[in-house]
Amino acid sequence: MNTKKIIECERTKIEKWSQFQLSNRWKTIGTVLCLVTFLTMIGLKFTEAEPLWLKDILRKVLLVGLLIIILSKEKMEDEMIVSLRAKSFTLAFIIGVLYALIQPVVDYVIHNFLYEASENNGFSYFQVLSFMLLIQMMFFEVLKRNR
Amino acid sequence: MQNTIKVERAILSLTQDDLAKKIGVSRQTINSIEANRYVPSTVLALKLSKVFNKPVNDFFKLSDND
Repeated sequence: MNTKKIIECERTKIEKWSQFQLSNRWKTIGTVLCLVTFLTMIGLKFTEAEPLWLKDILRKVLLVGLLIIILSKEKMEDEMIVSLRAKSFTLAFIIGVLYALIQPVVDYVIHNFLYEASENNGFSYFQVLSFMLLIQMMFFEVLKRNR
Repeated sequence: MQNTIKVERAILSLTQDDLAKKIGVSRQTINSIEANRYVPSTVLALKLSKVFNKPVNDFFKLSDND
């Protein structure tokens, strides 16, 4: 296989993967999954036992649920929806990176200057990823409503 | 980019929904195109051209800031 063929093959595969989407019924499945997981997480807060492994699994399930929602097609999927989705992904990515950069500083200031110093003021992958996914959903809905 | 899709649609007595169905997009997309909020792709422009039976240049015009 020569270089030109390899480049062509790579381009085709990337284009194919970038167009990956789930059907519209997955949106309902994702929403139900998120709601059930979220309610379970809240329920666990009121119980004495909140095992770390369960908390970790629930967080991962919630992220998968959010990912399913944002990867699902709309009922009427056309080129404008694709363009709005791309815009919302861009905005979510930029805001997510800014959040990851700014949040630890804000957290540090709050914990060390306003309150007593705390050692546990880091932030998790869950915080950043859920923030990015929610921001994407929010921007997509806003852009869709105002189209 | 400016367009006269609303006029072309009126000539053919088509509603936004009728035109949307003919070219396989949502009514909101037609509304956004007519309001110059969205510039359609070449494929969509050619589909519109087929419906109106006119060249794309007849109903799409470049504006000064394009």
